Amino acid sequence: MYDSSAGKKIAQTRALDKADQEIMVKSMEDGIETVWDRFAGQQPQCGFGNLGVCCNRCAMGPCRTEPFGKKPTRGTCGADADLIVARNLLDDLTTGAASHSDHGREVVEAMLATAEGHAQGYQILDEDKLHAVATEYGIKTAGRKKEEIAGELARALLEEFGTLKNRIQMTERAPQKTRDTWKKLGIMPRSVDREVVEAMHRIHMGVDSDYTNLLLHAMRTALSDGWGGSMMATDASDILFGTPTPKNALINLATISRDKVNIVLHGHNPILSDMIVKASEDPGLIKRAKDAGAKGINLAGMCCTGNELLMRRGIPLAGSFFDQELVIATGAIEAMVIDYQCIFPAVTQTAGCYHTKVVTTSRKAKIPGAIHKEFQPETGLDTAKEIIGLAIDNFVNRNPDRVRIPEKPMQMMSGFSEEAIRKALGGTYKPLIDAIVAGKIKGAVGIVGCNNPKIKQDYGHVTLAKELIKRDILVVETGCAAIACGKAGLLVPEAADMAGSGLKSVCNALGIPPVLHMGSCVDCSRILVLAANIAKELNVGISDLPLGGAAPEWYSQKAISIGTYFVASGVYTVLGIPPKIFGSPNVTNLLASQLGGIVNASFAIEPDPIKAADLLEAEINRKRKALGI
Amino acid sequence: MKTVFVRPELCVGCRHCEVACAIEHAESRTLFDAIHEEKISKPRIHVEVGINYLPFPNRCRHCDPAPCMQVCPTEALYRDQETSSVVVDYGKCIDCAVCAMACPFGIIHFQKVHQLDTGREVNAKCDNCIERQKIGKIPACAEACKTGALEFGDADDLIRVSRKDFTMRVIKSEGTDVEVPKLPANIRAFRAIMAELAELRGES
Repeated sequence: MYDSSAGKKIAQTRALDKADQEIMVKSMEDGIETVWDRFAGQQPQCGFGNLGVCCNRCAMGPCRTEPFGKKPTRGTCGADADLIVARNLLDDLTTGAASHSDHGREVVEAMLATAEGHAQGYQILDEDKLHAVATEYGIKTAGRKKEEIAGELARALLEEFGTLKNRIQMTERAPQKTRDTWKKLGIMPRSVDREVVEAMHRIHMGVDSDYTNLLLHAMRTALSDGWGGSMMATDASDILFGTPTPKNALINLATISRDKVNIVLHGHNPILSDMIVKASEDPGLIKRAKDAGAKGINLAGMCCTGNELLMRRGIPLAGSFFDQELVIATGAIEAMVIDYQCIFPAVTQTAGCYHTKVVTTSRKAKIPGAIHKEFQPETGLDTAKEIIGLAIDNFVNRNPDRVRIPEKPMQMMSGFSEEAIRKALGGTYKPLIDAIVAGKIKGAVGIVGCNNPKIKQDYGHVTLAKELIKRDILVVETGCAAIACGKAGLLVPEAADMAGSGLKSVCNALGIPPVLHMGSCVDCSRILVLAANIAKELNVGISDLPLGGAAPEWYSQKAISIGTYFVASGVYTVLGIPPKIFGSPNVTNLLASQLGGIVNASFAIEPDPIKAADLLEAEINRKRKALGI
Repeated sequence: MKTVFVRPELCVGCRHCEVACAIEHAESRTLFDAIHEEKISKPRIHVEVGINYLPFPNRCRHCDPAPCMQVCPTEALYRDQETSSVVVDYGKCIDCAVCAMACPFGIIHFQKVHQLDTGREVNAKCDNCIERQKIGKIPACAEACKTGALEFGDADDLIRVSRKDFTMRVIKSEGTDVEVPKLPANIRAFRAIMAELAELRGES
């Protein structure tokens, strides 16, 4: 028989959050396989892969170099460990950059369809932002209809993906000094797609064989994501769906309803999920849910599309990346609607153990066992209604005996877009800069990234955030890091009590939490804009500011791109999980040390969040000293 | 005495040895055919993780005297005199698992083998690749190992390497800081991080 006390112990080693632990025990009782089980089943993981010295690119391979100083020291083509590691790293980074940027392109395409009047249910919600971005692109706004401006802007944004213009307008948001560094190094991104395609070219056998040159291109590709694709994803989403403003919401697995039809929105892109939100307000569908015996329709976000909805609509957030199987194990989910990125291919297997239906919506992301309802801006609202109808019809299949939902959701505050932060400060960064100069706030750290079974879920994020705020370091977060801290109760103004006295006084004066939720993973671009605006106000580069970045639990290639555009922009970044670079001491040394000499920022690898806080504090103090504060 | 000597500090957990073992004991002895055979050949060497994500390739030691041979009621286990390997006569094996209970290393496991017409599972332990040895080849696992974690040769010769390292440690009075063999700094750094991660998960 299943031993639940053993299950509880296992759950405590796997996840920090009590609600997660409770449902994890249920998942074990129900015999559900989860990411933690699959990770255990993968042990031992291949050391050649872990060290990055496995090359499986061409048909002369697969090859690997021997990591203990013996033979073979080169693959069949002659690539040594430095080259194999650098090519693999660029490959991974490019996958991440492409994922962000392709997401961005879809939002811009939805914006174009909206402007041209053939998108169903969409509208230009934020005219102020439309005007601001259009002005940057030299598009006239005075006396023009918003659709007209949006159409011209969408076309200009789509041109950023092309090859003729050879520059990305949004990079001009960076301070001059930062841009000069990029120019000097030859890493100023030319276009979004161009850098991705060139990266794929360079890692072909017999193209770029110089690891330093490859890694410089990695920085350029990452910049085309951060200051290109991701930034467009953020801005086009704001224009279409509204720029986030601070709002309260609920978070964790207790946001699943006992008596309503539960629809989990999982993935990344708001163009689908925002339309589901709109459709869920349809009186006909609400009535249909009630006729089916439910008290209504409950939408719960998950992962980054959850963050998008939380930021703009205050929709409850059920959890992060590692909650996707647990949420199904509550037994109360009628439908999980997904778009793309970070969806476990096993999610349909998990859903198959309950009544849950998985609905895929993107042509790019199908899963065997799911129902496919293709989502297009032209028919967005109809498809959204159809999906909700399907969930309502599934309510009757819910087995109450198999339902368990944790008792208490946590309160949180989100919606801290760069614009919202600026507004909270009174329209200028001066109060924040003054607080930093006065030492009330020593600096700021962006904690971003995912979950990874190599570290207890949320432990890295939450421990690091607590440790930093205690030291008067303001924390800004995106992605699953923000979700982790939401579940842990750090995203409420009262959490300022956990901060050092300086940070606490600033938070209390402004009524904000010491950890600010800035959005989804593409919204790391908001952190860049925030840093750029502060630097410009001080007339310095981003690398001069007392800032840091951290990805304590990262797993995704997207995080490699984010970490790299942080560092390339001048922000020292600590990774909690080792990237696959240790097979090359030269590459490791370049990333962890030599980069400091050229961009005044580098990577560090430190799994222990307390030690990571020490590293970040030391970096902030180094930069404060250089600024003479 | 010839043996496959294990140097666990050099194992990176790639499981090349497992794959090579499975292929060697498949009917076709080729990778692409082996995965489609009716009785899929499973590895007889097991790479498993101990603590701190550190793997160990666990393989039959071909003991002499061998506890498994001593307890086998049907004398299915016998010694190949030429290579002094402990091997199984699959036809005599009655699948009782007493050998597995006696094995000090836990390496015996049961599977269907192509040599038998029936679907019975039998003790399909490591046979030291005696067929390869008889034509002058070394065991498949040792051949597949790229790092030297599995080394085939005369046990005394292989032990001598470790002994020499120990001697150096004593003579130079460098204490336990000297690793046997000396590991590159990048490998030590990587393992330290993995150990830290394991500790954070409460697994070390």
